[in-house]
Amino acid sequence: MKSENEMAGATALESGKGAKPGELPHEGGVPGVAAALELRNVTKLFGQFKAVDDVSFSLSPGSICGFLGPNGAGKTTTIRMVLEILKPNSGTITVLGRPSALEVRHRLGYLPEEKGLYKKMKTWAIIAYFATLKGMTRKAAKRRAFELLERYGLKEFAEKPTDALSKGMGQKVQILASIAHDPELVILDEPFSGLDPVNQQVMEDLIRDMARHKRTVLFSTHVMEQAERLCERILLIARGRLIFDGSMAEAKRTMPCRVRLETEDDIAPLRNLAEVSAVRAAPPANGQVDGREEGSVQWELELRQDSDPQIILQTCFGQRIRLKSFNQSEPTLHEVFMRLVGPEARKGAGNE
Amino acid sequence: MRYAFLVAWREYAENVKTRGFWIGLFLFPLILFLSVQVPVLLEQRATPVRHFILVDPSRGLAPAIEAALEKSYQRQVLAALKEYARKNAAPMTNSAAPRPAPSLEDLNEADAQSLETFVAKGGRDFFLAQLQPRLRTGAPPFQQPRRPFQEVKLPSTINPKADLPSIADELKPYLRQDKLVEADGVPVQLAAAILIPPDFENQIVNAQARPPAAAPRPSAPTQQIQYWSANASDPRLREEVERAVNAEIRRCEYLARGMDAAVIQQVEHTYVPFASLNPKKEKGQEAVGTADMIRQWAPSAFVYLLWVAIFAVIQMLLSNTIEEKSNRIIEVLLSSVTPGELMMGKLFGIAAIGLTMIGAWMAALFGMLSWKSGGASELVGQVFVVLRTSNLVPVFAVYFLLGYLMYAAFILSIGSVCNTLKEAQSYMAVITLLMMVPLMTMVFIPKDPNGPLARVLSWIPIYTPFTMMNRATADPPLIDLVGTLVLLLATTIAALWMAGRIFRIGILRTGQPPKLLEMLRWALRR
Repeated sequence: MKSENEMAGATALESGKGAKPGELPHEGGVPGVAAALELRNVTKLFGQFKAVDDVSFSLSPGSICGFLGPNGAGKTTTIRMVLEILKPNSGTITVLGRPSALEVRHRLGYLPEEKGLYKKMKTWAIIAYFATLKGMTRKAAKRRAFELLERYGLKEFAEKPTDALSKGMGQKVQILASIAHDPELVILDEPFSGLDPVNQQVMEDLIRDMARHKRTVLFSTHVMEQAERLCERILLIARGRLIFDGSMAEAKRTMPCRVRLETEDDIAPLRNLAEVSAVRAAPPANGQVDGREEGSVQWELELRQDSDPQIILQTCFGQRIRLKSFNQSEPTLHEVFMRLVGPEARKGAGNE
Repeated sequence: MRYAFLVAWREYAENVKTRGFWIGLFLFPLILFLSVQVPVLLEQRATPVRHFILVDPSRGLAPAIEAALEKSYQRQVLAALKEYARKNAAPMTNSAAPRPAPSLEDLNEADAQSLETFVAKGGRDFFLAQLQPRLRTGAPPFQQPRRPFQEVKLPSTINPKADLPSIADELKPYLRQDKLVEADGVPVQLAAAILIPPDFENQIVNAQARPPAAAPRPSAPTQQIQYWSANASDPRLREEVERAVNAEIRRCEYLARGMDAAVIQQVEHTYVPFASLNPKKEKGQEAVGTADMIRQWAPSAFVYLLWVAIFAVIQMLLSNTIEEKSNRIIEVLLSSVTPGELMMGKLFGIAAIGLTMIGAWMAALFGMLSWKSGGASELVGQVFVVLRTSNLVPVFAVYFLLGYLMYAAFILSIGSVCNTLKEAQSYMAVITLLMMVPLMTMVFIPKDPNGPLARVLSWIPIYTPFTMMNRATADPPLIDLVGTLVLLLATTIAALWMAGRIFRIGILRTGQPPKLLEMLRWALRR
């Protein structure tokens, strides 16, 4: 395992600058460092159905990238193409610098969406088996299996068959099996599904740990809070098309900033501000009906892009609008997702 | 390739640990053993003694019948004694002491002369005493076999002087098991009653040419010798009595015509020995012996073994493939190994399991053979000789390999598209039906190994392994041998190639299994 000094190196890599002409968007970080994974114009058809439509992106080594999208968007298909379980109809995929994932399969780790284990095999044996399939020797694999099981709290289950494990534990084992051989690029399809909050935290730490050691992680999830916490980079795919590719900050900037304030006074001056694009009477927040003072109204203001919410405050003070409360919130990833994907997803749902 | 081996090794190691494997391993030999032993044991122990009543007012036939039944019983005793000696006594050595004559080994229960000697010398008691010094320590005591048929007296309530029809009527309740008769003071069931009319001599059918006018009219059953029994499924008593009666009638006839019965018997025992020779064998070796018999029938045994082996192993392959698909482990596997490597690993891992099972069964078979024949361990020796000198074992190996791979290709295709064993059933039904044909023709082919049926079947690739195995020692024409082998090889390779493509696509799909036509399209497109 690498030392903590790597941490500094890893964080330096993530600068997320905008695309320069001639470059692929968001190659991320230091130009000249080969991308861990690169897709160019990848398309996959199943008969007439376009599961993946002209998708291109690039991941830099040591980054954590969230692969988000509604059900049936094409995430799993894209992932399978990366791992060469399926072949694209057109486009190229470069994995760790090689045109075929098979050439570098020992350096890849994969956790599929549908989880399964050999029921009768012992826990350590399964981890060791998959590690040997990735090129480790039997002895090293066995040692590693026990090491991982101990580190992640499954020591007592090492000799038990996997059907003695609960679903969450089984999933942990599977994740361990996918990283036992210390791969450089790890692709996790819904790693958090079925895990309790404690184990989810454990997984998050594991992912962060990997990134710290300059491993690249691409994971898909429906749990937006986790993606928010972990990812520096987001890929949003819907109906086969990549509709967003950028850093977390950029994603949030696509949503207008919102300010919530409570006041008895007339807010007309605020409406006239250039920065304010919309004003709404905000619905009362849950359970706060009693706290609201008589006569005061809660307002929700939508600000235009790149506006500074401080203008509102200043205007309030300047116009003597007395504030009972003032709240400026960043949009959540959930809201971003709904906004970007919502119309697409509804289109899709409407067709079914 | 290394990965194919890893996959194969895992399949083997994991399967060998399962209970199913060990059950299958022991089950087949156990079934074989039981199906041989149980009927024999039942025959020996469970068949009840049949009690019968003999009514013969003229006493013309009764003595003959009784004598014949006694003789038959003594034959049984002799056979049992010989078996006992074989199991529990040390063999006769050529010691200085003169051999007591005759000894048990000299007697043959099938030979009438031997039987007479046995009885004349004192039967069981005499020969058991003779055996005594040679008995092994701890040998169990001799268990005399039970008499199969025991005569009992007419119940006292029935008048022996009455006419036969009335006696028959009165016996009916006993025969129907409604009442019991007595045998040595113990009430027993009456199995049969034989009633011989006093004028039975009038019923004798004579083969001598007679003027048609004097030909006897077929008489009513009431005038013939009557055998009454409610049990129609055990004909032994009736057959023995019939034999005894007819022998006695004939003896009387010989006498009536002035022929000496003893002379007749001697004449009947003369014979000319025949030597069976095979022209295909080398000079000097032409005599047909047990080895040749074994050689003639061994291929059938191998065909059966081949069939069972292939059938059992492909079932394992099917359930294994479907399990891996249904618990979704297949996707992780495919990120580490190619579908080709996965397929090969499975094929060989499961084949290894199959071969282990076959090996165990054969060992069990040999063990059983040698245990059963005991003293005739030369039989086992002969079998080994045949195996070593003939081409049976390598032929078996080749046809098992190719046959298994070919059928395995079909199974992998089916297994990769089905999500549960249930979905696979309709495909498997077809395969099972097709595989019935070699089984049904298995016995016929060695009788005519190079005939039209055998040749036609040999050229159908799915039947080639079984049919050619069956013809293995019958010197099939070279064109058949080489041609069918080449065709089989080509078919196997094609099947495996197509299975590979179907496997690749099917293994990741869920949902309804596709129709056969669509599977073919997968295999052939691009």
